[in-house]
Amino acid sequence: MTVKSYFLPRSLPEALRLLQLHGPELLVMAGGTVAMPLINEGISLPEAVMGLRLAGLDRLDRTDGTLRIGATATLTQMLDQDAVPMLREAARNTASWSIRNMGTVGGNLFTPPPGGDVAVALLALDASVTLAGARGERVLPLGDFFTGFMTNELAADELLVEIQVPIRSEPTAYMKFGRKHANTPAVVTVAVRIEWHEDRVADARIALGAVGPYPIRARQAERLLVGTGLDADAIAAAAVAATQGCEPFTDGIATDWYRRKMVSLFVGRALEQLAPGAGAEGR
Amino acid sequence: MASTIVTFELGGREVEVMVKPMTTLQSVLRNQLGFTATKEGCRQGGCGSCTVLVNGEPMMSCLLPVEDVAGQRVTTLESITPAEGLHPLQRAFLDANAFQCGYCTPGMVMISKALLDHDPAPSDDDIRQALTGNICRCTGYRPIVRAVQAAAEAMSDDAGEQAR
Repeated sequence: MTVKSYFLPRSLPEALRLLQLHGPELLVMAGGTVAMPLINEGISLPEAVMGLRLAGLDRLDRTDGTLRIGATATLTQMLDQDAVPMLREAARNTASWSIRNMGTVGGNLFTPPPGGDVAVALLALDASVTLAGARGERVLPLGDFFTGFMTNELAADELLVEIQVPIRSEPTAYMKFGRKHANTPAVVTVAVRIEWHEDRVADARIALGAVGPYPIRARQAERLLVGTGLDADAIAAAAVAATQGCEPFTDGIATDWYRRKMVSLFVGRALEQLAPGAGAEGR
Repeated sequence: MASTIVTFELGGREVEVMVKPMTTLQSVLRNQLGFTATKEGCRQGGCGSCTVLVNGEPMMSCLLPVEDVAGQRVTTLESITPAEGLHPLQRAFLDANAFQCGYCTPGMVMISKALLDHDPAPSDDDIRQALTGNICRCTGYRPIVRAVQAAAEAMSDDAGEQAR
């Protein structure tokens, strides 16, 4: 253990001051479920760490049709809310009870694939993120936040403080496929949201996890669905198209070849859940 | 930064420890306080053998800097073991042969305690869901699920007796 200083700010201004003072060398940690294993193993050797558990950033607020999620709200808090059912489903499929009590929604956006399953749901839900720095706050669509494997738009003097999720009644589907039923890394995670206009698809979101350096959207597949009735042919075409733009990787869980196959299979299954007559509920 | 003093509640008693920055709760419990029921397993949050309750909620003590629990209520297996005899969960684990090597048992008992505090009558599926983060390489889990079920029944019988 090389940590020489551990800071536990009690407020956002205090946290931002500490970040200013110590600069990019300061490791920012929320629930500790990603950083602590690396520190325990000696893979990460930070001299200064800032823990956000007591910084008061864990509030959930429902205002103007938006669920505002404090960055350090835990995954257990997602299970306990009912404003956005897909987030409950995503949290339920993430890690184990003890880890959900520690891991945070904000931290999930910094979790490398095949982790970061909640972020996949947030992407399909058109979430945005608030980044706060010494010069004020800015809001970004989540899709613009990720820039590469474990890199993002966050500047060195900024903290992710809040995630905003529009509350909508459209049906959604969330499927995480792993090697076990629970507490398992994803082979692929699929989050789908369909906007209907009468009996036609007006807009679609298909977000994929564990098949790229960060959660991505299957834009080609989304485009193919617009204007269709989400019939079997449309679903089959979208399922094939969903693999375009994927960059599946090989790890201890699955090969890139297998992940690519599973993208098609699970995008198809998720869409079938939402197809007319599938008994899909607005969840 | 030099060592700091951290105070928290452990099994109803206030304890005070002097720690280097970011010492884990697990290390403090075992190495400084001699509370060795809480085991050191993977130190990755992946095995559950270090499960303790913080303010009644299960957490992995290997991932928790002790500074984070300053002023909080920590419950370990020692805290729930009566001065004489056994907690109903301990009794049930013993009766159901719910352990062989025993390394996972303190974590298993603590997560089960949290479950029964939340839901006194869980289904088998609820129990399996609750235990997903706690790995046992000996038993195949069936005796553990049986033990939790038996403890739930014993505790509701006890509660019934007391109410009468």
